Amino acid sequence: MHRYGSPVPILTANRLCFRYQDQPVLSDASFSLEAGEFVCLLGPSGCGKTTLLNLIAGFLMPSDGELAFEGRPITGPGPDRAVVFQSGALFDWMTVEENIAFNLTCRKRPLAERREMGTRMARLVGLQGFERHYPYQLSGGMKQRVGVARVLAAGPRIMLMDEPFAAVDVQTRETLQEELLRIHAATGCTIVFVTHSIEEAVFLADRILVLPSQKGTDWKEHRVDLPAPRWAAENRLHPSFVAMRETIYRELRKGLADVPGH
Amino acid sequence: MSPGTERRLYWTIAIASPLAILALWYVGTAHGFATPVILPSPGTVIGAFVDILRNGYSGGSFLSHLWASVQRILVAYSVAVVLGIVLGLLRGRYRLVDAVFLVPAEVLRPIPPLGIIPLLILWFGIGELSKMLVIFLSVFLIVMLNTQAGVRSVRPDSIRAALSLGASPFQVFRYVIFPSALPHIMTGLRIGIGTGLTILVAAELLGGDRGLGFIILDASNFFRTKDVFVGIVLIGLLGLACDRGLQWISRRLVHWDGKP
Repeated sequence: MHRYGSPVPILTANRLCFRYQDQPVLSDASFSLEAGEFVCLLGPSGCGKTTLLNLIAGFLMPSDGELAFEGRPITGPGPDRAVVFQSGALFDWMTVEENIAFNLTCRKRPLAERREMGTRMARLVGLQGFERHYPYQLSGGMKQRVGVARVLAAGPRIMLMDEPFAAVDVQTRETLQEELLRIHAATGCTIVFVTHSIEEAVFLADRILVLPSQKGTDWKEHRVDLPAPRWAAENRLHPSFVAMRETIYRELRKGLADVPGH
Repeated sequence: MSPGTERRLYWTIAIASPLAILALWYVGTAHGFATPVILPSPGTVIGAFVDILRNGYSGGSFLSHLWASVQRILVAYSVAVVLGIVLGLLRGRYRLVDAVFLVPAEVLRPIPPLGIIPLLILWFGIGELSKMLVIFLSVFLIVMLNTQAGVRSVRPDSIRAALSLGASPFQVFRYVIFPSALPHIMTGLRIGIGTGLTILVAAELLGGDRGLGFIILDASNFFRTKDVFVGIVLIGLLGLACDRGLQWISRRLVHWDGKP
């Protein structure tokens, strides 16, 4: 389904470090992303996975090392690396279609084009009929759909997602996960998805990067091998799914066992 | 209690309460508990109002007095609101702009505006400018402070989202920071109009021959208590109308406020 053979990475991190008030938050991250890949960043709280996402988004600058997007160092945020937030971060004063078309508004595109984009993206994420609603009239799951549509409308090369489904109920979360995989297949967009849920990572990702829980331990990487279509709910019961979940769980527990007090 | 019943009860009490005060006032004056100079009856006050409406007061028509007051507050309030919002937005967003205004604004704020009036009269005389300046000053500080608080309440994720979706710094200001601050700004406008009217009357008490404050002062000098009441009630109604108007605008403008 994806072009793993593509030799040119869309993003490369080389010995990337980030320190906050002299405390290392992220140390020595080296990896690369291929175009079209769905990569999950997995790890316990405080391991720096959101920090890594914020570095890719351009909200933070590396303390050390290199982080290059399409061969050039990242200098700030931009629509080529647009972000879906856990909080949604929707603009409460704008309708669904105005939220979705925000990038077009910034580029001063005409109203007809913004409307057209709003309608098209609302349909893509299953929100047709809600274009003129305001965010406060939507459920948590619907808000996250708007967040995804708003990013897709900006035409990103990478869609960055920071625990976007952490605050919605389990049933909604599973539906959203399945729809995200459909959207990924339909758009071919590269996705970097931060989560602390092993199940979520295994279900969604082509590749999982497990961040070390403390400095000194290693990064781990897993390639997920589940049958197509990836959005099939049965994949959650597939032997490969169960096996990989166990592997990663043991790995993470071992990491935790090394910490004094655990 | 169903919401409909509770709503009806609420409004029944809300209307009954002022009527009860009116009734108490009427009964009290009808039985001669107070002389008309101390407390004229409601009927006398209404009569005085109709008289002022027909024949004016102290050589000026009713409308000329009303307009004098409205004009002062309108000019001073508008300028204060525009400047207050602009400077509040800038102070909230840029620390260095905040640094410029921090000490002057904080020193000026605790001074009662009435304490500044004598100085303004010394500098600008007792004309319109002094009256408008003292209203402007207090409203401006209130609006600026509330706007600044609004900017500080902007969720950082909203700004990051806008930047990540391609907004320029000005677009972040226009599409995110200003609307985020709008609920606080509207609160500032409502507090500001209340304070503005208070200062208006105080300023008019100091001189001039037009305005609702002037009617109150002049009438009290001649023990025409019924006319004092006319002035007081009119100012109260003016304040109520302004506040309700702003509340109405606010509910429509910041419809998302207070919703999860």
